[in-house]
Amino acid sequence: MTTLLLAGAGAVGVRAARQLLDTSGVDRVLVSARPSAHADEVATVLGVEVVPFGSIPDGVDAVALAVPGPAAVPLARQAVGAGIPVAAACDDRDAVTGLLALDADARARHAIVVAGCALAPGLTDVLARHAADALDRADEIHVARAGAAGEACVTALRRSRRDRPVEWSEGAAREERRLGPELVWFPDPVGARECVTVAAPVETLHDAVPTVQRAIVRAADVPAPKRRVFGSRRPRDEEWGAARVEVWGSRGGAREGVVYGVIEHPAVAAGTVLAVAAARIAGLLPEVRLRVDEPGARGLGALVEPPPFLAELARRGVKAAAFEGAPAS
Amino acid sequence: MRRFHRWGLVVLLGVLATIVVRLRAKGGVPPTTGGWRELEGPDFR
Repeated sequence: MTTLLLAGAGAVGVRAARQLLDTSGVDRVLVSARPSAHADEVATVLGVEVVPFGSIPDGVDAVALAVPGPAAVPLARQAVGAGIPVAAACDDRDAVTGLLALDADARARHAIVVAGCALAPGLTDVLARHAADALDRADEIHVARAGAAGEACVTALRRSRRDRPVEWSEGAAREERRLGPELVWFPDPVGARECVTVAAPVETLHDAVPTVQRAIVRAADVPAPKRRVFGSRRPRDEEWGAARVEVWGSRGGAREGVVYGVIEHPAVAAGTVLAVAAARIAGLLPEVRLRVDEPGARGLGALVEPPPFLAELARRGVKAAAFEGAPAS
Repeated sequence: MRRFHRWGLVVLLGVLATIVVRLRAKGGVPPTTGGWRELEGPDFR
Protein backbone atom coordinates (compact mmCIF):
# COMPACT_ATOMS: atom_id res chain seq x y z
CA MET A 1 0.00 0.00 0.00
CA THR A 2 1.58 3.26 -1.15
CA THR A 3 0.73 6.50 0.64
CA LEU A 4 1.87 9.95 -0.40
CA LEU A 5 1.66 13.14 1.62
CA LEU A 6 1.12 16.32 -0.36
CA ALA A 7 1.80 19.58 1.46
CA GLY A 8 0.18 22.58 -0.19
CA ALA A 9 -3.20 23.02 -1.81
CA GLY A 10 -2.62 26.02 -4.04
CA ALA A 11 -2.52 26.09 -7.85
CA VAL A 12 0.31 23.54 -8.03
CA GLY A 13 -0.87 21.40 -5.12
CA VAL A 14 -4.32 20.82 -6.61
CA ARG A 15 -2.81 19.72 -9.95
CA ALA A 16 -0.31 17.49 -8.19
CA ALA A 17 -3.11 15.87 -6.14
CA ARG A 18 -5.08 15.08 -9.31
CA GLN A 19 -2.00 13.60 -10.96
CA LEU A 20 -1.16 11.50 -7.92
CA LEU A 21 -4.70 10.12 -7.81
CA ASP A 22 -4.31 9.19 -11.50
CA THR A 23 -1.06 7.31 -10.82
CA SER A 24 -1.23 3.55 -10.83
CA GLY A 25 -0.16 2.14 -7.47
CA VAL A 26 -1.05 5.18 -5.34
CA ASP A 27 -3.46 3.93 -2.68
CA ARG A 28 -3.74 6.97 -0.41
CA VAL A 29 -3.09 10.67 -0.86
CA LEU A 30 -2.94 12.77 2.30
CA VAL A 31 -3.13 16.55 1.93
CA SER A 32 -2.05 19.23 4.36
CA ALA A 33 -2.19 22.96 3.82
CA ARG A 34 -2.10 26.24 5.66
CA PRO A 35 -4.77 27.54 6.07
CA SER A 36 -6.39 24.15 6.52
CA ALA A 37 -9.54 25.35 4.73
CA HIS A 38 -7.61 24.99 1.44
CA ALA A 39 -6.89 21.35 2.22
CA ASP A 40 -10.54 20.80 3.18
CA GLU A 41 -11.67 22.20 -0.20
CA VAL A 42 -9.30 19.88 -2.07
CA ALA A 43 -10.38 16.95 0.06
CA THR A 44 -14.04 17.65 -0.71
CA VAL A 45 -13.46 17.89 -4.45
CA LEU A 46 -10.92 15.11 -4.91
CA GLY A 47 -11.79 12.77 -2.07
CA VAL A 48 -8.40 12.75 -0.38
CA GLU A 49 -7.66 12.75 3.35
CA VAL A 50 -6.61 15.87 5.27
CA VAL A 51 -3.87 15.82 7.89
CA PRO A 52 -2.57 18.72 10.05
CA PHE A 53 0.01 20.93 8.32
CA GLY A 54 3.52 20.17 9.51
CA SER A 55 2.84 16.58 10.53
CA ILE A 56 4.03 13.47 8.70
CA PRO A 57 1.82 10.52 9.67
CA ASP A 58 3.22 7.00 9.98
CA GLY A 59 3.18 4.94 6.82
CA VAL A 60 3.91 7.79 4.37
CA ASP A 61 6.14 6.55 1.53
CA ALA A 62 7.04 9.92 0.03
CA VAL A 63 6.32 13.60 0.59
CA ALA A 64 5.49 16.06 -2.20
CA LEU A 65 5.91 19.72 -1.32
CA ALA A 66 3.86 22.32 -3.20
CA VAL A 67 4.39 25.09 -0.67
CA PRO A 68 6.34 28.37 -0.93
CA GLY A 69 10.10 28.14 -0.44
CA PRO A 70 10.38 29.28 3.21
CA ALA A 71 7.93 26.54 4.29
CA ALA A 72 9.44 23.83 2.10
CA VAL A 73 12.87 23.52 3.69
CA PRO A 74 11.68 22.80 7.29
CA LEU A 75 9.15 20.25 5.99
CA ALA A 76 11.81 18.59 3.85
CA ARG A 77 14.17 18.47 6.84
CA GLN A 78 11.42 16.82 8.88
CA ALA A 79 10.84 14.21 6.17
CA VAL A 80 14.56 13.52 5.85
CA GLY A 81 14.77 13.13 9.63
CA ALA A 82 12.18 10.39 9.35
CA GLY A 83 14.04 8.79 6.42
CA ILE A 84 11.22 9.58 3.97
CA PRO A 85 12.00 10.69 0.39
CA VAL A 86 10.78 14.16 -0.52
CA ALA A 87 10.22 16.11 -3.74
CA ALA A 88 9.69 19.88 -3.69
CA ALA A 89 8.22 22.11 -6.36
CA CYS A 90 9.61 25.40 -5.08
CA ASP A 91 11.55 27.53 -7.54
CA ASP A 92 13.18 30.28 -5.51
CA ARG A 93 16.93 30.19 -5.18
CA ASP A 94 17.16 30.26 -1.37
CA ALA A 95 14.76 27.33 -0.98
CA VAL A 96 16.38 25.15 -3.64
CA THR A 97 19.87 25.72 -2.26
CA GLY A 98 18.45 25.05 1.23
CA LEU A 99 17.06 21.73 -0.01
CA LEU A 100 20.35 20.80 -1.69
CA ALA A 101 22.09 21.56 1.61
CA LEU A 102 20.17 18.64 3.15
CA ASP A 103 22.42 16.30 1.15
CA ALA A 104 24.53 15.06 4.08
CA ASP A 105 21.48 14.48 6.29
CA ALA A 106 19.68 12.70 3.44
CA ARG A 107 22.64 10.37 2.88
CA ALA A 108 22.86 9.65 6.59
CA ARG A 109 19.13 8.84 6.75
CA HIS A 110 18.99 6.99 3.41
CA ALA A 111 16.49 9.46 2.01
CA ILE A 112 16.24 11.11 -1.40
CA VAL A 113 15.56 14.85 -1.70
CA VAL A 114 14.57 16.18 -5.12
CA ALA A 115 14.99 19.95 -5.20
CA GLY A 116 13.08 21.93 -7.80
CA CYS A 117 10.31 19.79 -9.31
CA ALA A 118 8.45 22.43 -11.29
CA LEU A 119 8.61 23.92 -14.76
CA ALA A 120 11.91 25.72 -14.06
CA PRO A 121 13.78 24.38 -12.21
CA GLY A 122 12.56 20.84 -12.80
CA LEU A 123 11.42 20.09 -16.32
CA THR A 124 14.06 22.47 -17.71
CA ASP A 125 16.79 20.49 -15.91
CA VAL A 126 15.54 17.25 -17.47
CA LEU A 127 15.41 18.88 -20.90
CA ALA A 128 18.95 20.21 -20.41
CA ARG A 129 20.15 16.68 -19.63
CA HIS A 130 18.25 15.33 -22.63
CA ALA A 131 19.88 17.95 -24.88
CA ALA A 132 23.31 17.24 -23.41
CA ASP A 133 22.85 13.53 -24.16
CA ALA A 134 22.47 14.47 -27.84
CA LEU A 135 25.92 16.09 -27.80
CA ASP A 136 29.37 14.58 -27.26
CA ARG A 137 30.09 17.19 -24.59
CA ALA A 138 27.84 20.02 -23.40
CA ASP A 139 29.40 23.18 -21.98
CA GLU A 140 26.81 25.96 -22.06
CA ILE A 141 23.15 26.07 -21.00
CA HIS A 142 20.69 28.91 -21.48
CA VAL A 143 17.31 28.47 -19.83
CA ALA A 144 14.44 30.92 -20.18
CA ARG A 145 10.99 30.84 -18.65
CA ALA A 146 7.78 32.80 -18.97
CA GLY A 147 4.74 32.66 -16.74
CA ALA A 148 4.13 31.70 -13.13
CA ALA A 149 2.01 29.05 -11.44
CA GLY A 150 0.40 31.02 -8.62
CA GLU A 151 0.84 34.07 -6.44
CA ALA A 152 3.70 32.53 -4.41
CA CYS A 153 5.45 31.72 -7.68
CA VAL A 154 4.92 35.28 -8.93
CA THR A 155 6.46 36.66 -5.74
CA ALA A 156 9.49 34.37 -6.08
CA LEU A 157 9.88 35.20 -9.77
CA ARG A 158 9.71 38.96 -9.22
CA ARG A 159 12.27 38.66 -6.46
CA SER A 160 14.59 36.67 -8.72
CA ARG A 161 14.29 39.40 -11.38
CA ARG A 162 15.06 42.09 -8.78
CA ASP A 163 18.00 40.36 -7.07
CA ARG A 164 21.48 40.21 -8.54
CA PRO A 165 21.57 37.48 -11.23
CA VAL A 166 23.36 34.21 -10.47
CA GLU A 167 25.16 32.29 -13.20
CA TRP A 168 27.15 29.08 -13.17
CA SER A 169 30.65 29.96 -14.34
CA GLU A 170 34.20 28.82 -13.57
CA GLY A 171 32.97 25.89 -11.54
CA ALA A 172 30.64 27.71 -9.14
CA ALA A 173 27.44 29.71 -8.87
CA ARG A 174 28.41 33.38 -8.97
CA GLU A 175 26.56 36.66 -8.74
CA GLU A 176 26.98 38.57 -11.98
CA ARG A 177 26.14 41.98 -13.41
CA ARG A 178 22.67 42.05 -14.93
CA LEU A 179 22.77 41.94 -18.72
CA GLY A 180 20.33 43.94 -20.78
CA PRO A 181 16.96 42.40 -21.64
CA GLU A 182 16.98 39.85 -24.45
CA LEU A 183 14.17 38.66 -26.67
CA VAL A 184 13.64 34.92 -26.23
CA TRP A 185 11.56 32.91 -28.68
CA PHE A 186 9.26 30.45 -26.95
CA PRO A 187 6.87 28.08 -28.75
CA ASP A 188 3.55 29.64 -29.78
CA PRO A 189 1.25 30.98 -28.43
CA VAL A 190 3.73 32.59 -26.02
CA GLY A 191 6.17 33.58 -28.83
CA ALA A 192 8.81 36.26 -28.25
CA ARG A 193 9.16 37.65 -24.73
CA GLU A 194 11.72 40.05 -23.30
CA CYS A 195 13.68 38.26 -20.58
CA VAL A 196 16.39 39.28 -18.11
CA THR A 197 18.97 37.19 -16.28
CA VAL A 198 17.72 36.19 -12.82
CA ALA A 199 18.89 34.88 -9.45
CA ALA A 200 17.98 31.26 -10.21
CA PRO A 201 19.19 28.02 -8.60
CA VAL A 202 21.70 27.23 -11.36
CA GLU A 203 23.21 24.48 -9.18
CA THR A 204 20.50 22.09 -10.38
CA LEU A 205 21.58 22.66 -13.99
CA HIS A 206 25.15 21.79 -13.04
CA ASP A 207 23.79 18.74 -11.19
CA ALA A 208 22.08 17.66 -14.40
CA VAL A 209 25.00 18.41 -16.73
CA PRO A 210 28.26 18.30 -14.74
CA THR A 211 30.39 19.24 -17.79
CA VAL A 212 28.69 22.64 -18.11
CA GLN A 213 31.02 25.64 -17.95
CA ARG A 214 28.34 28.32 -18.08
CA ALA A 215 24.66 28.22 -17.20
CA ILE A 216 22.31 31.20 -17.29
CA VAL A 217 18.62 31.48 -16.49
CA ARG A 218 16.46 34.27 -17.87
CA ALA A 219 12.85 35.04 -17.05
CA ALA A 220 10.14 37.20 -18.51
CA ASP A 221 8.17 39.55 -16.31
CA VAL A 222 4.80 38.34 -15.11
CA PRO A 223 2.12 40.80 -16.11
CA ALA A 224 -1.22 41.00 -14.34
CA PRO A 225 -3.63 38.39 -15.76
CA LYS A 226 -5.71 39.56 -18.74
CA ARG A 227 -9.24 40.73 -18.11
CA ARG A 228 -12.23 38.84 -19.40
CA VAL A 229 -14.42 40.69 -21.88
CA PHE A 230 -16.50 42.08 -19.04
CA GLY A 231 -15.28 42.34 -15.51
CA SER A 232 -12.80 40.34 -13.49
CA ARG A 233 -9.31 39.24 -14.33
CA ARG A 234 -8.76 35.65 -15.37
CA PRO A 235 -7.25 33.38 -12.72
CA ARG A 236 -3.47 33.35 -13.10
CA ASP A 237 -3.44 29.60 -13.71
CA GLU A 238 -5.43 30.09 -16.95
CA GLU A 239 -2.44 31.95 -18.45
CA TRP A 240 0.07 30.15 -20.66
CA GLY A 241 3.62 29.66 -19.54
CA ALA A 242 6.65 28.40 -21.41
CA ALA A 243 10.23 27.34 -20.99
CA ARG A 244 13.09 27.15 -23.44
CA VAL A 245 16.33 25.25 -22.93
CA GLU A 246 19.29 25.81 -25.24
CA VAL A 247 22.36 23.64 -24.75
CA TRP A 248 25.60 24.18 -26.62
CA GLY A 249 28.55 21.87 -26.95
CA SER A 250 30.48 19.74 -29.40
CA ARG A 251 29.29 16.90 -31.61
CA GLY A 252 31.54 15.19 -34.11
CA GLY A 253 34.16 17.90 -33.68
CA ALA A 254 31.76 20.73 -34.55
CA ARG A 255 30.05 23.21 -32.22
CA GLU A 256 26.31 22.61 -32.10
CA GLY A 257 23.26 23.72 -30.18
CA VAL A 258 20.17 21.74 -29.19
CA VAL A 259 16.99 23.62 -28.28
CA TYR A 260 13.98 22.23 -26.46
CA GLY A 261 10.86 24.07 -25.40
CA VAL A 262 7.65 23.43 -23.59
CA ILE A 263 4.39 25.30 -23.41
CA GLU A 264 1.82 24.63 -20.76
CA HIS A 265 -0.10 26.31 -17.96
CA PRO A 266 2.70 26.64 -15.37
CA ALA A 267 0.62 25.20 -12.52
CA VAL A 268 -0.29 22.16 -14.63
CA ALA A 269 3.32 21.59 -15.66
CA ALA A 270 4.63 22.02 -12.11
CA GLY A 271 1.91 19.82 -10.57
CA THR A 272 2.54 17.05 -13.09
CA VAL A 273 6.32 17.17 -12.72
CA LEU A 274 5.98 17.13 -8.92
CA ALA A 275 3.53 14.22 -8.93
CA VAL A 276 5.65 12.06 -11.26
CA ALA A 277 8.81 12.78 -9.25
CA ALA A 278 7.08 12.06 -5.93
CA ALA A 279 5.50 8.86 -7.22
CA ARG A 280 8.86 7.71 -8.55
CA ILE A 281 10.74 8.23 -5.29
CA ALA A 282 7.89 6.44 -3.51
CA GLY A 283 8.85 3.38 -5.55
CA LEU A 284 6.12 3.64 -8.22
CA LEU A 285 6.41 4.22 -12.00
CA PRO A 286 9.33 1.80 -12.49
CA GLU A 287 9.39 2.64 -16.21
CA VAL A 288 10.75 6.08 -15.23
CA ARG A 289 14.32 4.94 -14.77
CA LEU A 290 16.62 6.72 -12.33
CA ARG A 291 20.09 7.93 -13.26
CA VAL A 292 21.11 7.76 -9.60
CA ASP A 293 19.40 5.50 -7.08
CA GLU A 294 21.45 6.57 -4.07
CA PRO A 295 20.29 8.69 -1.14
CA GLY A 296 21.11 12.40 -1.20
CA ALA A 297 19.77 15.77 -2.33
CA ARG A 298 19.89 16.66 -6.02
CA GLY A 299 18.00 18.36 -8.80
CA LEU A 300 15.48 16.51 -10.93
CA GLY A 301 17.79 16.49 -13.98
CA ALA A 302 20.37 14.52 -12.03
CA LEU A 303 17.81 12.05 -10.72
CA VAL A 304 15.82 10.76 -13.69
CA GLU A 305 16.63 9.43 -17.14
CA PRO A 306 15.14 12.04 -19.48
CA PRO A 307 13.47 9.86 -22.18
CA PRO A 308 11.12 7.83 -19.93
CA PHE A 309 10.43 10.83 -17.70
CA LEU A 310 9.49 12.99 -20.70
CA ALA A 311 7.41 10.13 -22.10
CA GLU A 312 5.48 9.89 -18.81
CA LEU A 313 4.87 13.66 -18.83
CA ALA A 314 3.72 13.50 -22.47
CA ARG A 315 1.32 10.68 -21.57
CA ARG A 316 -0.15 13.05 -18.96
CA GLY A 317 -0.42 15.89 -21.48
CA VAL A 318 2.74 17.91 -20.73
CA LYS A 319 4.60 17.75 -24.03
CA ALA A 320 8.03 19.10 -24.86
CA ALA A 321 9.12 20.15 -28.33
CA ALA A 322 12.42 20.39 -30.17
CA PHE A 323 13.36 23.42 -32.23
CA GLU A 324 14.48 22.22 -35.62
CA GLY A 325 16.37 24.88 -37.48
CA ALA A 326 19.30 27.15 -36.77
CA PRO A 327 19.37 28.27 -33.09
CA ALA A 328 19.85 32.02 -32.91
CA SER A 329 23.13 32.29 -30.99
CA MET B 1 30.37 78.38 -34.45
CA ARG B 2 26.97 78.41 -32.73
CA ARG B 3 25.51 76.26 -35.56
CA PHE B 4 28.41 73.81 -35.15
CA HIS B 5 27.62 73.46 -31.43
CA ARG B 6 23.93 72.87 -32.19
CA TRP B 7 24.70 70.09 -34.69
CA GLY B 8 27.19 68.61 -32.26
CA LEU B 9 24.48 68.50 -29.61
CA VAL B 10 22.04 66.81 -32.02
CA VAL B 11 24.64 64.17 -32.96
CA LEU B 12 25.49 63.57 -29.29
CA LEU B 13 21.80 63.09 -28.39
CA GLY B 14 21.41 60.68 -31.31
CA VAL B 15 24.37 58.61 -30.15
CA LEU B 16 23.02 58.50 -26.59
CA ALA B 17 19.56 57.46 -27.79
CA THR B 18 21.12 54.69 -29.91
CA ILE B 19 23.10 53.40 -26.92
CA VAL B 20 19.97 53.33 -24.72
CA VAL B 21 17.96 51.49 -27.39
CA ARG B 22 20.73 48.94 -27.94
CA LEU B 23 21.09 48.30 -24.21
CA ARG B 24 17.36 47.85 -23.77
CA ALA B 25 16.83 45.46 -26.67
CA LYS B 26 19.98 43.39 -26.88
CA GLY B 27 20.10 40.18 -28.87
CA GLY B 28 17.11 38.03 -29.71
CA VAL B 29 17.46 37.22 -33.38
CA PRO B 30 14.12 35.79 -34.53
CA PRO B 31 14.33 32.24 -35.82
CA THR B 32 13.88 32.61 -39.55
CA THR B 33 14.21 28.94 -40.45
CA GLY B 34 12.80 25.84 -38.82
CA GLY B 35 10.11 25.44 -36.20
CA TRP B 36 8.99 23.50 -33.16
CA ARG B 37 8.36 19.75 -33.41
CA GLU B 38 6.63 17.90 -30.59
CA LEU B 39 8.79 15.16 -29.04
CA GLU B 40 7.36 11.72 -29.79
CA GLY B 41 8.11 8.01 -29.43
CA PRO B 42 11.56 7.87 -31.07
CA ASP B 43 12.73 10.85 -28.99
CA PHE B 44 11.96 8.92 -25.81
CA ARG B 45 14.24 5.97 -26.55
